[in-house]
Amino acid sequence: MSSSVGVVPHGVPRAGGHGPVVRRRRPSAVTVVMAIAAATLVSAWWLELDPAKLFAVSDGAGRLVGEVLGAAWSPALFYESPATDLPADIEPLLVRVIAAVGRTLMYAVGAVSLVLVVGLGLGFLCSRAWWERDRFDMGRRSVRGRAMPVVHAAARLISAAMRSTHELLWAVLVLVAVGLTPFAAVCALAIPHAGTLAKVFAELVDEAPRDVAAQLRAAGATGLQRFVFGLLPRARADLVAYGFYRFECIVRGAAVLGFFGIETVGKYVRDAFENGHYHEMWTYIDALLVVVLALDAWSGAVRRRIA
Amino acid sequence: MSRPESTATLVAQRRERDEVVRGLRRAAPRSAVVRGSVVVGVLAIVAVWLFAPFALVEVTLSGEAAGVRLGESLRDTFDPQRGDNLARFITRIAPRPEQGQTVWGWLLQLLSEKGLRAVATTLAVALAAAGIAALIALPAAFAAARNVSTPDPFGLGGPRPIGMTARLRWQLQVSVARISLAVLRALPEYLLAFVLVVLGPGAWPAVLALALHNGGILGRLGAEVTENVDAGPARFVRAAGAGRWNTTWFVVLPQVFPRFLLFFFYRLESCVRESVVLGMLGVGTLGYLIQNDARARLRYDEMIVYLVLAGVLVVVGDVVSSTVRRRLRAG
Repeated sequence: MSSSVGVVPHGVPRAGGHGPVVRRRRPSAVTVVMAIAAATLVSAWWLELDPAKLFAVSDGAGRLVGEVLGAAWSPALFYESPATDLPADIEPLLVRVIAAVGRTLMYAVGAVSLVLVVGLGLGFLCSRAWWERDRFDMGRRSVRGRAMPVVHAAARLISAAMRSTHELLWAVLVLVAVGLTPFAAVCALAIPHAGTLAKVFAELVDEAPRDVAAQLRAAGATGLQRFVFGLLPRARADLVAYGFYRFECIVRGAAVLGFFGIETVGKYVRDAFENGHYHEMWTYIDALLVVVLALDAWSGAVRRRIA
Repeated sequence: MSRPESTATLVAQRRERDEVVRGLRRAAPRSAVVRGSVVVGVLAIVAVWLFAPFALVEVTLSGEAAGVRLGESLRDTFDPQRGDNLARFITRIAPRPEQGQTVWGWLLQLLSEKGLRAVATTLAVALAAAGIAALIALPAAFAAARNVSTPDPFGLGGPRPIGMTARLRWQLQVSVARISLAVLRALPEYLLAFVLVVLGPGAWPAVLALALHNGGILGRLGAEVTENVDAGPARFVRAAGAGRWNTTWFVVLPQVFPRFLLFFFYRLESCVRESVVLGMLGVGTLGYLIQNDARARLRYDEMIVYLVLAGVLVVVGDVVSSTVRRRLRAG
């Protein structure tokens, strides 16, 4: 995985590849493109997507579209309601926007700390590297050796269950079950990302070069020592890159969670939209955009120095 | 050999080894940016759990309530009254079939009347969006690749020096392409779809939101791959007189195409996840059934069925996508 990629897809090939290359018949590029095009067209037909509808800007609805989307270039700096309609002690719009974005970041930082603890722990259990018996273990039947397959399978199952449900669905579930308190929202936000991190962490560690781990093995290091000092440092650059990518996803998730009641950017966007204050709405969106882009630049700077 | 001598040797050896380790430590690259980032990250995590709306502890410094206690939101979350809510919720997720209907009959009816249709719509939104995203990403990737979008593609060189304006013009194009892709990527799909609901009813808001966001991601990844491509074949064809377009489409594209496909299937997988959720904004995917149908009618039993169905769909999509990707990689 090239460390310069801001968005690190898991399971994307590395140069060289590992293990024996199995030659299978691969469909030609033209076949694949045709299949994708056909699937897209069938989907468009099923959804009754009409390209003409997209460009019909002449009627009344079109004017609304123009008004809403056009406001993106002129975000409001002050409240759109006349001052007489506002409470006397209301804070300036920009203060409110900064507070909303700041709270979004707070939720994201809270969630990411949970994700790191749960995801790394679960990922450790999900990875083969620590479980695997090598030739030194041959013939030894320890309690650990017997419990391993069960714990390993359970960890993978739990991680799959966590990430198979989107954070917004977790939020809805929590919402109807107990109500979406800020604490519950952070937990809901963390669940799927922790599951994903566990999976990717396990993959990265399993695919990391085993050279150092083998040396440590020969010197008599224990399994845990080999994992911490042999495997983790070899996967560090990829792990950091992926961690940043997760954080960006969580920031977006935290913003969207606002639509479900907590006081992040999403809530203010919905309120502004419902009041028809499109310029105010874009102030929040543009502020979020700036923050995410800044995070992107920051993570790029860190990744360049670690790789 | 006498004992004191051997001890002295051991001490000397250890000292030498420690010196080597210290030297390695000194030689290790260290960066203020990385260290600062670690400090900022740790401080932010600590601060958030102390002061955010979901803080774990509440510290009151003065007044009669001075002291440390559990955070307000934490106490609220585990309030006995919420426990009652939870208990009520759990009793209501048990299936409630109609009179004279078995649980299996109820399940089958749910799936055949609404579930399967919603599954098809979920997949259709994901596929249509991924297809459009690929259409956006293909030209954008080349426009943003620094080895293609330059006055001298693939560094062939030439007799004429490259003018300042040409260089600036291409630099501008790369910057515009990169920033646009970054902006598309930065906006969350759900937020984008929410704004695009002004397009009117139908699937366009969801499809377009997904397509734009993923177009941004695919374009960035594609540009990255294109920049890392082996320039040999392209230079060869360029030297034989081929122009920028022919070289890009007939030499570079075939080289990067397998990678593009891998990225496409990787994003398709996440499109399925998001497509489920975008149903909450009105398009008829599983999210619509979960939020606007089952939940609105307080039928939590149905809601759980759809949630599980969505989970299964995502897992199946995951498996299919990773199988396809593995085969593409192996071939």
